[in-house]
Amino acid sequence: MNAIKTIFLKEIKIEFRNKQMINNYLLLSVMIIASFRFAFSIIDFSLLLIASPIIWITFFFSGMFSLSPTYKRELEEGTCEGLLLAPISNSSIYFGKFLSNFLVILLLELFSLLIFFVFFSIATPDLVALFILIIIGTIGFAALGNIISAISSNLSQSEVMLPVLLVPILLFTIVISAISATSKIFEGAHLFDVMQEVRFILMFDVVFLAIGYLLIDYILGD
Amino acid sequence: MRFKINIKDLIFGVAIILILISIYLAFIYTPTHTTMGDVQRIFYFHVASAWLSYLAFGVTFVTGIFYLKSKDFKWDKIAFASAEIGIVFCTLAITTGPLWGKAVWGAFWRWEDLKLFITLVLWLIFIAYLALRANAKSKVSKANLSAVFGIIGFICVPLSFAANRIWQQYHPTVIATSEGSLQSSMGMALGISVIAFTFLYIYLLISKVEIDTMREIIEEIKQKVGG
Repeated sequence: MNAIKTIFLKEIKIEFRNKQMINNYLLLSVMIIASFRFAFSIIDFSLLLIASPIIWITFFFSGMFSLSPTYKRELEEGTCEGLLLAPISNSSIYFGKFLSNFLVILLLELFSLLIFFVFFSIATPDLVALFILIIIGTIGFAALGNIISAISSNLSQSEVMLPVLLVPILLFTIVISAISATSKIFEGAHLFDVMQEVRFILMFDVVFLAIGYLLIDYILGD
Repeated sequence: MRFKINIKDLIFGVAIILILISIYLAFIYTPTHTTMGDVQRIFYFHVASAWLSYLAFGVTFVTGIFYLKSKDFKWDKIAFASAEIGIVFCTLAITTGPLWGKAVWGAFWRWEDLKLFITLVLWLIFIAYLALRANAKSKVSKANLSAVFGIIGFICVPLSFAANRIWQQYHPTVIATSEGSLQSSMGMALGISVIAFTFLYIYLLISKVEIDTMREIIEEIKQKVGG
């Protein structure tokens, strides 16, 4: 538990010490929302229908870029050996990095959501349900993204390979349920009306965390 | 070595004979479907290829676990060969499906049907698996990382199989427990075609592993000679 906390604090410190990086992520999410706004400003559409796909696609694409340096940084700076030699288990490295990714992505998502409500004038839905959905969706996103980031950091062209490997798996698990639940919430549903999707997302959160816990040894080992 | 070639030839022979039988059964022996007509005959090959892609990805999953446990490259070779064959049969399943769909539903593809969607995603996942292997930096990391990714990707298979059972979709459910909607002759034709495709898969798998082994031997000889 102590090791997880140490790794978590180390990652958070790195993320927030280098302020340029956080700024870039925030800028990126503004750009994505703005491009959706411009794209949809010239055609007729129903705002309620497109709101939830826009939100989740923005979340995933801006979050993806913050996942990519998680393990690559260690390899580039040569700190990977030190991390592996430290007397801690690989799974605590995974959980520490998962927690820091989760926090950073969640902050990015809340910021994007704010920008979204500024750019698109839409009636505020049940915010508690929306936040709970975002939190459980982000757990799965960060849990799987962390494993894939560890895999892709060992590949050539890792920036391209991360989305290539991550998108298909996230598509049918977290994204599809999250989009369907969020659009119901925008139409006025509450948390209890979307329990099926919530259970589905929670199931995948557990599956991805278990996969990460079981397989991280083999990824970091070589 | 001699023994192995014999088994391989035997499997090939059985596969050829069974495929000929299943073509006869599918096109001549079985009656024309009362509502769908002749286009229903595509079903015998569609189900067989879909089943085989599940089997092939399942083999990738299991051999991936074996590889991670034993670090024996033999398992990695089988996993890779099986994934490649699985992609071929998955491609067959998602191309024969729309041909049937055009005739029965009036549309090639229904995006709102989760079974179709998840099977397409399954195909994409294993295309990504090939991309991962192409971009790996060393033989060890290629084997390790692709085994891990194959294990993660496999979670799609049970979902793809169960999708029409969980979420009442347009895609028809074949293996139903309560009442057999298939006539017995149709069921037999389907069974034979599934067995035939399975033998074909085993033959392809053995051949692919042999080719990969030969390729490695040639690489080793090249390095020894200094080319």
